[in-house]
Amino acid sequence: MGSSQLSRRTFLKGAGVAATVAAGPTVFVRASRAQGKTLKIAQWTHFVPAFDDWFDKKFTKEWGEKNGVHVTVDHISVNDLRARAAAEVGARKGHDLFGFLDPPPAYEDQVLSMNDVVSELEKKFGKPINLVQRATYNPRTKNYFALSDNWVPDPLHYRIDWWGEVGVKPDTWDHVREGARKIKEKLGHPAGFGISQELDTNMMLRGLLWGFGAHEQDESSTKVTINSKGTVDAIKLMTAIYKESMTNEVFTWDPSGNNRFFVSGKGSIIQNAISAIRTAEKQNPELAKKMGLAPPAAGPKTRMGSEHLLHCYVVWKFAENPDLAKKFIMDLVASYNDAFLASEFYNFPSFPKSVTDLRGKLAADKFNPQAYLILADAEKWSAYPGYPGHTTAAIDEVFNTFVIPNMFARVAKGEQSAEDSAKQAEAEMQRIFAKWGK
Amino acid sequence: MGKVEGKTSVPGVAAVPLGGAAARASRRRLLDRESFLGPVMILPAVLYVLALVGVPFGLSLYLAVSDAKIASTGLGHFVGLANFTSVLRSPTFLRALANTFVFTLVSQVLVLVLAKILATCLTKRFYGKSIVRFLILLPWVAPISLGTIGWKWMLDSLYSPVNWVLQALHIIPASSWPMWFGVRELAMASVIGVHVWRLLPFATVIILAGLTSIPKEVEEASAVDGAGFWSREFHIVLPLLRPILTVAGLFGIIFAFTDMTVIYVLTRGGPADGTQVLSSLAFFTGILGGDLAGGAAISLFLFPMLLIVAVVMLRIARRAEVA
Repeated sequence: MGSSQLSRRTFLKGAGVAATVAAGPTVFVRASRAQGKTLKIAQWTHFVPAFDDWFDKKFTKEWGEKNGVHVTVDHISVNDLRARAAAEVGARKGHDLFGFLDPPPAYEDQVLSMNDVVSELEKKFGKPINLVQRATYNPRTKNYFALSDNWVPDPLHYRIDWWGEVGVKPDTWDHVREGARKIKEKLGHPAGFGISQELDTNMMLRGLLWGFGAHEQDESSTKVTINSKGTVDAIKLMTAIYKESMTNEVFTWDPSGNNRFFVSGKGSIIQNAISAIRTAEKQNPELAKKMGLAPPAAGPKTRMGSEHLLHCYVVWKFAENPDLAKKFIMDLVASYNDAFLASEFYNFPSFPKSVTDLRGKLAADKFNPQAYLILADAEKWSAYPGYPGHTTAAIDEVFNTFVIPNMFARVAKGEQSAEDSAKQAEAEMQRIFAKWGK
Repeated sequence: MGKVEGKTSVPGVAAVPLGGAAARASRRRLLDRESFLGPVMILPAVLYVLALVGVPFGLSLYLAVSDAKIASTGLGHFVGLANFTSVLRSPTFLRALANTFVFTLVSQVLVLVLAKILATCLTKRFYGKSIVRFLILLPWVAPISLGTIGWKWMLDSLYSPVNWVLQALHIIPASSWPMWFGVRELAMASVIGVHVWRLLPFATVIILAGLTSIPKEVEEASAVDGAGFWSREFHIVLPLLRPILTVAGLFGIIFAFTDMTVIYVLTRGGPADGTQVLSSLAFFTGILGGDLAGGAAISLFLFPMLLIVAVVMLRIARRAEVA
């Protein structure tokens, strides 16, 4: 009995001492950190590693030294960005600057207005391009809920040698269908347009819809318009391309799936940001020489593609250094000549005048100037989720619950007719729009 | 404990003067009393459960009947059952509901059968048994996300080593290259397979414990009576293992019903929602889509099933306690 009494007391005392010792370093670290200002940035792990090198090791370091601030950058994988943002908002704690890869209107209540930043930048660099303005501005609240520093074009990547061999140029969607089928039949190489629950598919299929005159919503962003003849025709065309020239692989992809498919030398055509061809230039230069870029294929109504990514920063209302965060963004935009080059033309400037002689820079590419030159006109053929309306919170949910990719997938899989699938997508979107109100 | 001027009275204990030594003695006695120390020691666990299970559950109940969004400044407004009627109108939800049952039931049947086989093997003596036991336990101790990412590459559409091995062994023709996540049935089989791989060690260990607790005399008596392997398995071992199999099964059902890591990493619910389950759909809707209330409503459809499982488990535990 005596020894048991002693051990209990010893245990309780020991536990108390251990807890104090464990808490000690935490208290010390907090105190030492509080001495200087730290700007905390979260953003994606760039598909072009050279950009992260420039951003982490050069730009943020120099900016931090100049402004007497310690800058930390946390890179988050593309699939985990949204979950991380939700966690930070839930905890009301996190980074000062958070970079999304698509506009986040659902977060408007938790972010600072960027109107002041936009107007400052407009004085120096003129207006942002239209798609950036439509995707990051809420006309109802007259508020820029995010500040986009860059956007990413989404051109076609195709094998010049194989498409030349079958004598077709991927200029229209009908050409794409014809050429992809001939290459598959003659050379055995499949095409690769994703029909999966992921970002790249979301973007590419929207471009296809617009080419057929179909849209998710009207210009006022209040009415669902997805169930249209254009949508049905677009679904039928993609189903035909899948059946004639693709494999089940296109249902399996994540955002890097089509890159790997094309860079492996297996695929005849994909639609993607230029990270695919840039990767090939580094890993397999001989293969890269056979790759070409082209604007998105034209549909019966127009030639249009979606921006591949729209990088936009938000500053949380609970950010510890909101003014520093806004200053950082303004200085970043002012440095976009360097950023554009560091990203190897992946990041296109949201404020076009922040990069001087963009066409000249593209034409001076050391590897394939002809290919990259087509990007000079990318703004003309690029739009954004929610086009022709604004990117709203309802469109955000439609985008992130993959309503459009699944609408195409059900038909390609033979589970539904194009008409029924469009009808189901319409019902799903109306349900989502009703939840978010107008 | 009642306080009297200059003295402390403890029921059942004679009052003692409050000097320094006496106070220490009193505290010492207090820490030695089961009726005091018991609740104090259990309190952290109770607070832990309340804070990490009770509060979130209460919050999700409220969110499900509110219009809260991911970035709402408050908890939203009360909207009654609107979120439930909304999700019930969604074909995606109905598919996810069906998928959840398929995923859970098939994986649990496989887990129990395979775990029983493995456990039976592990009761025998053979060379390298400790290494086999270590390897079997490995999937359980490794982080689930890491293990699942490993499987994502094993079943990759371009570079799948599984496909290479199947081709090399002539199990599939050289021209065939299964797209494990690209066909609905294969995708469901893949996520079930990985989930079984993950849960198998846990069930094996539980069943192994059950097998070792069966008295040797019972088996010896059945052998003397001429019972063969199958007869012994079905008439003696399995009936005796029934309580522990039930526990393993019920734990497995809870893990499978609430898990989304395997599906999120491998298929993200595709192809065409072919592997979408309630937990992944709740995540996509509530966290990625921003409709917190909708996500909470979807996740609450898990609750009736989990409640039934919890009740059955508690009854089994109580019966074991009584026994």
